[in-house]
Amino acid sequence: MNQDEAQVRMQEIQRIMERATLWTILPGTSAIIGGLMVLGGCLVSYLMFCSIENPSFSPIDFAGLLELSLYGQIAFCVMWFLIGVGGVVAEIHFARLQAKRQGISPKGRSARLAFFSLTPSVVVAMVLTVKFLAPAELRTQEIQYIAPVWMMLYGTGVYTAGLFSVRAPRTLGMAFIAAGVASINFFQQYGVITAALSFGLFHIVFGLYVIRKRRAGPST
Amino acid sequence: MNESIKPDDIDPVIHERVRLAIVSALAVAPEMSFYELKSTLGLSDGNLSAHATSLQQAGYIEIAKTFKGRRPHTTMRLTPTGQKAFANYLETLRKIIQKGGQTMD
Repeated sequence: MNQDEAQVRMQEIQRIMERATLWTILPGTSAIIGGLMVLGGCLVSYLMFCSIENPSFSPIDFAGLLELSLYGQIAFCVMWFLIGVGGVVAEIHFARLQAKRQGISPKGRSARLAFFSLTPSVVVAMVLTVKFLAPAELRTQEIQYIAPVWMMLYGTGVYTAGLFSVRAPRTLGMAFIAAGVASINFFQQYGVITAALSFGLFHIVFGLYVIRKRRAGPST
Repeated sequence: MNESIKPDDIDPVIHERVRLAIVSALAVAPEMSFYELKSTLGLSDGNLSAHATSLQQAGYIEIAKTFKGRRPHTTMRLTPTGQKAFANYLETLRKIIQKGGQTMD
């Protein structure tokens, strides 16, 4: 074997390792943190909606946003925006730590693949959210669509990111899509609950699964 | 100084491309199922099965066969021997690259 052949071999090994590690650099810790933040957000939303005096609005229905004061509506939107940003920051931070621990580049092919798979779905979800929130007069059904739309689009992104990897991210993606479909068709008025179950609980379960799998392996 | 790499330095079990791919994947993923490895590496059932058996016989990987419901579920993981062999193989490649060494094929 000469120098060039060895170089090619090294590149092949790196490529395979990056592909196989897509899910192992998905840090379980950040998934759990993200899930807990969403659960916290759902709890705060519930408490905000509980203060609504109009009895026709349930505290587990995101349409309760319509009954909040302007200040309350802004606080509500800022809170969920910060939860989203916090989740992304935690994901990037822990993914970098995990990649460093495993001696691979955090900007490697797998990370880029995950980024490019997720970004279009998230952008579309953001555009739809703005569209739903933008009209001069907010409408109940459009507010109720926001959570299921995020579930389905986020699920699509996660599923796509997992296409070239192992099954776990694909299963998570499918679970989100299924939850979104069920939510938009049957549980529109239970948005706080379905968001807590999907973005909260699914992430926590996925995080615990990743951590358990990693601890069980000989390479850790 | 150029250091020549002897043919014996290269582990023939790992050196084969498919087996190297299997070991490389298992070196970073704690455990992978037969299906996961097959789809990650783009291999056929027969190809993966044959090479996995060779690696198992060399003591480099463990193959566990269980059932998920009624369906058989095969998982593979790298053994400590396999990890060491892989590390040695990488070291050999590094030597060749860094020192411009060449095996006497």
